[in-house]
Formats: sequence, C-alpha cells, structure tokens
Amino acid sequence: MNISLKTALKYLLLGAVLLYPLFAFSSEYVLHVMVLIMVYMVLAMGLNIVPGFCGLLDLGYVGFYGIGAYTAGLLTIHFGLSFWVIIPLAALNGAIWGVLLGAPTLRLTGDYFAIVTFGFSELVVLFLTNEIWLTRGPLGLPGIDPVIIDLTWLSTLIHPEWIWYWEFIGLRPYFYLGLIMVALVYVIMSRMEDSRLGRAWFAIREDSIAASSCGVNLLTYKVIGFAISAAIGAVGGAFLARWTMFLSPDMFKFWESFLILCMVVLGGLGNFKGSLAGAAVLIALGEILRIVLPQLGLPTETRFLAYGLIMVLMMRFKPMGFFPAIATQSQKNPILIKLKKELGSSS
Amino acid sequence: MNILEIDSLTMRFGGLLALADVSFNTVKGEILGLIGPNGAGKSTMFNCISGVLKPTGGDMFFETSGRKMRINGYKPEKMTYFGVARTFQNVRLFTALTVLDNVRIGRHCRTKANFFGAVFRTRSQKEEEQKIVDDSMNWLKFVGLEKYVFYTAGGLSYGFQRKLEIARSLATEPSLLLLDEPAAGMNPKETRDLVDLIHRISDLGITVILIEHDMKLVMSICKRLVVLDHGVKIAQGGPREIRQNPKVVEAYLGRGAADA
Repeated sequence: MNISLKTALKYLLLGAVLLYPLFAFSSEYVLHVMVLIMVYMVLAMGLNIVPGFCGLLDLGYVGFYGIGAYTAGLLTIHFGLSFWVIIPLAALNGAIWGVLLGAPTLRLTGDYFAIVTFGFSELVVLFLTNEIWLTRGPLGLPGIDPVIIDLTWLSTLIHPEWIWYWEFIGLRPYFYLGLIMVALVYVIMSRMEDSRLGRAWFAIREDSIAASSCGVNLLTYKVIGFAISAAIGAVGGAFLARWTMFLSPDMFKFWESFLILCMVVLGGLGNFKGSLAGAAVLIALGEILRIVLPQLGLPTETRFLAYGLIMVLMMRFKPMGFFPAIATQSQKNPILIKLKKELGSSS
Repeated sequence: MNILEIDSLTMRFGGLLALADVSFNTVKGEILGLIGPNGAGKSTMFNCISGVLKPTGGDMFFETSGRKMRINGYKPEKMTYFGVARTFQNVRLFTALTVLDNVRIGRHCRTKANFFGAVFRTRSQKEEEQKIVDDSMNWLKFVGLEKYVFYTAGGLSYGFQRKLEIARSLATEPSLLLLDEPAAGMNPKETRDLVDLIHRISDLGITVILIEHDMKLVMSICKRLVVLDHGVKIAQGGPREIRQNPKVVEAYLGRGAADA
C-alpha cells in the first residue's frame, strides 16, 4: 500500500462525515448545522467567482440568494412545481438579475461597483418586505412544500402497484441532497476555473488592460462571471426555501453578504476549495458563539462583531486568505500532466 | 503596400496636446522605429493604435484580412482580433499565473470554447484546449522560455518577463506587433538576443513598430524611423538621414548642439 497516512485520514474523515446521518447517535442539531454549512459552501463558492476570480468586490451577493429562495418559494406555493424544475428556473432567474444588474454597472470599477451591489441587496430586501401582494412582506412565506421525488408516472408504467414517491422528511435526505448540490457546484467551479473562461477571468483580475489587449472583452466576461455567480447563489436560495419551508425578508439582510464574503476571504480569494473550509469554519464558529455569547450576558447578534474582527485581522495579516489561490492550481488537467511529462523527459 | 496609415492623428488630454497632426505609414513587413525624447508621445501613439485610447482627431487605417478599415475608436480586444498586438512600456503580465497560462490567455481571441464547453468538457473543447497548449508551447519555444513553462510569471527575471510578454502578444496571431521599449533594463547579452528575436518575428511576416531609446539597437534593425517630439513628427527616413537631421539632434541634445 502506498497510500500515505495523511490521505488515509482524509478519506476516513470524509467517510465519517458522509455516514454520520446514518448512525443512531447522530443528533438533529449537528445535522442541521451540517446542512446549513453546505448551503453556505455553495454560496461561498459562487461568490468566489466575482471577488476571487474577477477581482471585483461584491457586497450584495445575498440579493441573489434571496431572489433564488423567493423564486423557489413562490413557484412552489402558487404553481406546485417540483424541486427539480425549480432549481434550473431559480438559477435562470438569478442569472437574469445578474445580467440586469451587471451589464450597466460592471463598467464601474472597485469601490463604485461594491456600492452598487450593496444597494442592490438592500433593494431586494426592501422589495421582499414591501411588495406584500407577492411576498406577504414581513409575515414571511410559510408552508413551502418539502422536496419530493415523485416517480409514480414511471413506476406505475412498470408495475401498477408500485409507487415511487418519497417526501423528504427530517434532515437526513436534505443532508445527502445538499451533498450532491455541493459536489455539482464544486465540479462546475473546477471545470470553469480550468478553461478558457476561467483564464479570461484571471486575466481580468491580474491586469485588465493587458487582458483586453489579449482579446478578452472585459465587460462581457465580467457579466458572464457575475451571472454565473448569481445563478449559483440562487440555487443555494432555492435549496434553502425547500429545506426550511419558510422564508422571510430578514433572512437576506446585508449581514449575510458580509458573512459569505468573510468565508471567501478566509478560505482564500480565488480559491474555491478554500471557500468550503471558510464556510465550515465560520458557520461552526457562529453556532459556538450562539451558545457562548448569552453566557457572557451578550445578545447573540454580537457575533457579527466577531466576524468583523476576523475580517479586520484577515485584511491586516493575511489579505489573500489562509489558502490563497496559487498559480499552479489547475495542473490536474490531463493535457498539462502530459506536457509536464514530455518536458521532464526531454530535459 | 501599407498595413497601417496614420493620417493627421491628434490626441488631446484636456489642455495637453500629446499628439498633434501626426501622419506616417507603415509598410507591410517592415520594422519601423518610433523614436523621440521622453514625453514625445510615442506611447500615446501606441495606445491610440491598440485601442487603449480613442484619438481626438485624425484617422487611422489598418489592413485586416485583405481590407483597409478605419480603426478609430475600436476597443483593445477588437484591435487584437483585427491583428494588432502590443507589449507595454512597464511590463504588464498576469503575475500570479504561470508562464504557460499567460500565453494561453493570449490565445483567447483565436479560440471560442464557452461556458457549456467548459462545464461539459465537450470533445471540441478538449481538442481546442490541447491546441491552445500546443500553440502556446510553440510560442514559448520561439522566444526561448520552454524551460520555465510552470514558473509563476511574476518570479521571472526582468528580461524573461519581457520575452514572455512578447510570446503572449505573438500568441494572438498578430499581423502588426507594437513593441514598447522592449530592451529597457536588459543587459547587453539579452539585448543581442532581443535583436535576434525581433528579426525572427519579422521573418514570420509580422510587421513590427518599435519604440526604443537604445539608439544603437534602433539604428541597427530599423530601415525606417519616425521621430516624434512634443507630439509633433519632426522627421522620418532611414537611420543615416535621421542621424544627420538637425531637428532630431536639437530635440535630443538641445539647440546648442545642433548649431555646433
């Protein structure tokens, strides 16, 4: 066996996490936190595209999260659409709003763009709060159906008495559904990163003038990045809607954007794998603070002070995050591995 | 046959006239030198041709795919697509990326895989990626950087960074290459390599316009020179003519020198 102890431990840990929900001793609370972490993993990976890959500060990511969540919630309540239909629709709606916001504003640079995105997320919250005819405003949106796998049309074809119909009850199914979602977004992210599209984004981040003289259309590629990021955020929102089965506008306040940004910075700008760690660490920290702070006689909202402190310390000591993106990141590509071998043998 | 025609080009920044009524032509296949003292407007001229700046007056015509077109006001990425590539006075590389990635980005405008190709790894996308790597490697070999493929661009020595920038611009398949002070900061050996490289680029049929302060270098490789001073074209011609032109001597050395 030539598997090192480190890899063995890694797989063991991964296996333990994967099987955790099946153990009898697994607690609902831990499962809940794990599913929450997975939602934020998706959000953090999605957000990483804008500040990490393209180098643009986005303070309004939660706006797309909210759009995705309410799209899913409203389509479920009013039209009873299946989760599997809603996911692409929510992603599409997120992307549309990403293009609508991005196309006119991505000409702005740096701080100006950050302010526009901040304004957008506030706008989304105000819309959700005030357009009561559509969203029921501050009352929230209760009674969203859970995720259902309905294959009765197929099973009755095979055998009239078979009924393939599962409703997601409890946290276990959501755990595995969330896992699939994280894995899918992860694959999409890694494939985008190692492609012509990803290289164009990196070029914009590194030097936009040089990028445009290499033939990269700055605005187009920024809008594409923004839209894909928005779509991923909306998918996260749609999952949240069908999981919590209740939505209210104050779930999408500015603080959420800040929290997600914190995860991205913690994990390393431009390194979406680091975002996974960032999400896990900050959500876990939030849960710990939720318990610790009341014991110190402080309201739980003070945990945002901790996030702020983390952000300040990160910016001071590790502005590129704990796992910054390195130039050799996409070298698992078979083409590059082959090239490396050729170079190695010739020299 | 002219590949580029500049016709009374004017560039005004507020009250400053950076280029005033400059006209010159570039013949297909030649190496044209663009010289002048600091602040003469040479880099401004490059910025206008490559689309970074939009000139405030005059016309520029460029021959692309057999057709002469007016290129005023096109964006840099469009100019790259038409066949104008450039390097920058202070090297502008994607410093955190690898040498290979820098050149691969140069292939951007000649390739077309999109989001769906990237996510679903279609056969055409895979073939294109392989082609991009092969082409990039060819250009890296051309400039002599094939040993540093996986190095971070920012970690290269200054001379190599300049070479990499040239490789990146060549990867865009230009018909006109604008080199902005390629020899700045190079040692004598690197400069000799550079002269050789520029000749080899010219041999590929690429027209080169060169901004350079190293007079020996310019005089040795350019058959024709254009001299700018304070945004005005003061002379044009072969190296010998230019060296003896009193206006040029005055611009470089001052009035007293020209009289002497």
